[in-house]
Amino acid sequence: MSTAAGRPPTTVAAVLGPLLGAVSGERMAATVATLAAEPFAGRRVGSAGGAAARAWLARHLADLGAAVTVEPFTVRFVPEVYAAPDVRWHDGTTERRLAFGRDVAVHLASADEPLVRHGGLAVAGAGDPAGRWLLVPPGMTLFDAYGHAYGATGLLIGRGVDADGWQYTMLAGPNPGPLPILTLDTGTHATLLAAAGAGGRLAGWLAGNTPIRRLDVPAANLHGAWPAGAGPEVLLTAHFDGVGDHPGLRQPAAADNGSGVAVVLEAARVLTTQVPGQVRLSVALLDAEEAGALGSAHHAAQLRRAGAAPLVINVDGAGDLHRSAAVEAGGPAHGLLAALDQAGRYTGLPLAAGPVASDNRRYATAGLPAVGIGAGMAGYHSPADTPDRVEPATLTAVAKLVAAAAWLATRCGPPPP
Amino acid sequence: MTSTQTQGGFAGDPAAALDVAGTSGCCGNPPQAAAPTLPDPRQAAPCCGTAAEAAQAGACCGTSAKAEAVASGTGCCG
Repeated sequence: MSTAAGRPPTTVAAVLGPLLGAVSGERMAATVATLAAEPFAGRRVGSAGGAAARAWLARHLADLGAAVTVEPFTVRFVPEVYAAPDVRWHDGTTERRLAFGRDVAVHLASADEPLVRHGGLAVAGAGDPAGRWLLVPPGMTLFDAYGHAYGATGLLIGRGVDADGWQYTMLAGPNPGPLPILTLDTGTHATLLAAAGAGGRLAGWLAGNTPIRRLDVPAANLHGAWPAGAGPEVLLTAHFDGVGDHPGLRQPAAADNGSGVAVVLEAARVLTTQVPGQVRLSVALLDAEEAGALGSAHHAAQLRRAGAAPLVINVDGAGDLHRSAAVEAGGPAHGLLAALDQAGRYTGLPLAAGPVASDNRRYATAGLPAVGIGAGMAGYHSPADTPDRVEPATLTAVAKLVAAAAWLATRCGPPPP
Repeated sequence: MTSTQTQGGFAGDPAAALDVAGTSGCCGNPPQAAAPTLPDPRQAAPCCGTAAEAAQAGACCGTSAKAEAVASGTGCCG
């Protein structure tokens, strides 16, 4: 579709100019701020905040003229830290309380122990573990540590923190094991490891609890569809769930993935208002991505059963662009990639092949042409993922890319076999 | 956002996006602004294996990568 000079022909420019000119960074920033606000409580799957966010998004989609449907499913064993852990360490002379989220967090494989358990410190694999909190040395796996932990009070594992000093939160991970397990930031862990190695009174003690439980929860994807246009169907997707607030710790999930949702909504808005009927468009706002991309797994299976084969464009993170947006593709996506490349050239957004470990993989695994786009996120899965760190310029650049790619993919026709 | 961009699109063959290797940060786009104490998502972190492995396993994680991630206590998808 490009000319020899690498510029799109006038007809394309005549459409894309007004289409992309209608993209509003301000509107997307407002969407991100709303999704990240306190009433939605970080939007963990199955939470009241997640349900409230879904209801708000349903109204938003309806306001855009979409026919809206909700597709429920169940997610099992979603971890929830239901109280801030109370953890104190005494080095023999001074007692120090560890800050939840920074100095200490509850490991995903931890048993639920609501009561504070007091014990001396020891090193896993050295000495008697009975009644002690065991420091797991760097390099020792969790499974190996279990082998040294008969009768132990619990395990203490070192864990790095992010650029803001947070131990970021994950929902998808190992199932609970037999012992309470706390993660300590690497500095605190090293200090306690040295103390435990010293032994005797110098080893000190630790008192802590691990209030974590697993819940089976209701989840639901949100779908919006517009009256059919021409050509292949384009499905824009983004997950709206987050890892959720902890007690006393807000985790707004602004970039991950309020930003992706805002981009998808804005792209849908400009496509349906600026070039109505020209793109056969649908949107899926997905739940439970943070629990293992389960919303997209549910939706991809539905599409397979229905024999549908839309071109899938998934956005996960559009908040903090560095040099280029990452693109990961799967399934028969050559045609879609060509449209995305052309959209990148038209909008001036550099693209680079890179991992986008998100819902796009579920659609690709189902055999659908799917691309995932990631344009950065500050404060990944932590209290630092706040709206002020989502760059309106990045939102705008990615929304223009997605809108242009959707329109170009429709014009190009179905991808080659 | 960097403002020195002059040319968009892929610098090379767009089809390279179909063969992304060395993925990590399972089920959740990997952090792109991580502290040095965190593993580089483009290095050989345990989760999630490659996209091809994930596709073969019918999940967003490769089977062996998931086993490693669980064993080490790292978060990983189902």
